[in-house]
Amino acid sequence: GQEFQFGPCRVEGIVLQELWEAFWDMKDVVQAQDNITNVRLLRKEVLQNVSEAESCYLIHSLLKFYLNTIFKNYREKAVKFRILRSFSTLANNFVVIMSKLQPSQENEMFPISENARRRFLLFQREFKQLDREVALTKAFGEMDILLTWMETFYQ
Amino acid sequence: DGVAVLPAPQNISVQSTNMKHVLTWSPVMVPEEIVYYSVEYQGEYESLYMSHIWIPSNWCSPTTGLECDITDDITATVPYNLRVRATLGSQTSAWSTLKHPFNRNSTTLIPPGMEVTKDGFHLVIKLEDLGPQFEFFVAYWRREPGAKEHVKVVRPGGIPMHLETMEPGATYCVKARTFVKAIGRYSAFSQAECVKVQGESLPL
Amino acid sequence: VPCISSGLPKPTNITFLSINMKNILQWNPPEGLHGAEITYTVQYFIYGQKKWLNKSECRNISRTYCDLSVETSDYEHQYYAKVKAIWGMNCSKWAETGRFYPFLETQIGPPEVALTTDEKSISIVLTAPEKWKKNPEESSISMQQIYSNLKYNVSIYNTKSNRMWSQCVTNHTLVLSWLEPDTVYCVLVESLVPGPPRLARPSEKQCVSTLKDQTSELKVK
Repeated sequence: GQEFQFGPCRVEGIVLQELWEAFWDMKDVVQAQDNITNVRLLRKEVLQNVSEAESCYLIHSLLKFYLNTIFKNYREKAVKFRILRSFSTLANNFVVIMSKLQPSQENEMFPISENARRRFLLFQREFKQLDREVALTKAFGEMDILLTWMETFYQ
Repeated sequence: DGVAVLPAPQNISVQSTNMKHVLTWSPVMVPEEIVYYSVEYQGEYESLYMSHIWIPSNWCSPTTGLECDITDDITATVPYNLRVRATLGSQTSAWSTLKHPFNRNSTTLIPPGMEVTKDGFHLVIKLEDLGPQFEFFVAYWRREPGAKEHVKVVRPGGIPMHLETMEPGATYCVKARTFVKAIGRYSAFSQAECVKVQGESLPL
Repeated sequence: VPCISSGLPKPTNITFLSINMKNILQWNPPEGLHGAEITYTVQYFIYGQKKWLNKSECRNISRTYCDLSVETSDYEHQYYAKVKAIWGMNCSKWAETGRFYPFLETQIGPPEVALTTDEKSISIVLTAPEKWKKNPEESSISMQQIYSNLKYNVSIYNTKSNRMWSQCVTNHTLVLSWLEPDTVYCVLVESLVPGPPRLARPSEKQCVSTLKDQTSELKVK
């Protein structure tokens, strides 16, 4: 079967097709709420040319942020836009992925994890510069960019 | 305000076979009245990050039946809390919550239905359409001493798929089992089915 | 001379039709203005960048489509486009698309299918669909280079036995051997890429007959 291979971090049990279908069900509604089109949080500098070794650190940081900040505060909107099921599918599958990621904490990996952290901070800084609600809506609407990047590690 | 005078539904359980999950409960008996039931669920995310949040089931909020197909609600391989309550007019019962959270990795996998046919010298299999979650591991071999077993992954089910080009006069046998990526589990193999190919067998 | 934004109704149903990264913006005329000489102006926007950009070839046009393939050719970007209707001195408000992500939304065209036969076999050679290119001289990029997980679903229909079966293949050659001689087989091929749901574009059905059985012909003689 297929699985994610973020460098050394292997994640089984995720059917990426389920995540795509969940996002596609809400894409138009969610992205239509984002009027600040001149800002893209998951810019090329965040996700382009990520090495295999970096990928586990970066996906761990991104999913942790999505679960702890974005999903947590987007829920009322999910109820309002009637997209709770897609919301729940993505959130619960991200919980599964997070539970299986164990990025190495060894010192020798510090330069790599630091690279990944810099990329994540690019994303987080951009997020914090926006109004809170705008940032949540934008990040939620950019999950197609996140899933597209994640798919490159799905084998 | 509807005060909870109705008894809560009892005997809540989940029957899950081949990734189709059905929640069932016992009826709340109110003579000559139609009682409605509502089902809600909560995945691990909701119970970890927002435990007061429950999501109405896609198909059964409300329903008059005594069961609810929750397959479309269970969309991750995590434990799900499930609850049911009864409603009659303005009266509502308390929620009855499933004793143990349900995880789809506990589903019972049974061997797939299959139809093995041939089109001339071509071995064709049509597998039961069990939905996008399923892949099929199909094993086939030529029935002869020391036969080598070949395996092919077939997806999806529901359409005739070519397996092998057969040799005249030979008999080929096929068996299949399902594999569900989301839970990383297989079913048992189905019974083998064999087909004989017309014509004289080729010299060995 | 800029037009006056009046109560002119907007164009409707503005969408991208995208096949193999050829991205055509299309729309319907504003409602209720049949017979009026309406023209249209198009602009596009790269998500995350600063301003709307003009498409000079689609300024004051009377057709209801505009080829934005060049402008939306970086398929890792996401885009918006908008159109307004102009009638005399009056123009409508802009009608805007949703966010368009070519990499996820382009339809994957069918491969080219070449069939050759002999008595009892048909060989099928598939050529991956090509990415749209600005001009014919440009070197071709196969959609397989963009979507490494591109697969083909090959459906074969035996017109004599009335049977149909399929095979999912990743390589580009497929030989169907041990077929029935002197029999018409029809072949249909569809490109498949896992990921978000995409509209399917199967190939034209091609039918070819296996040759007559030479051995039985000799016996007859």
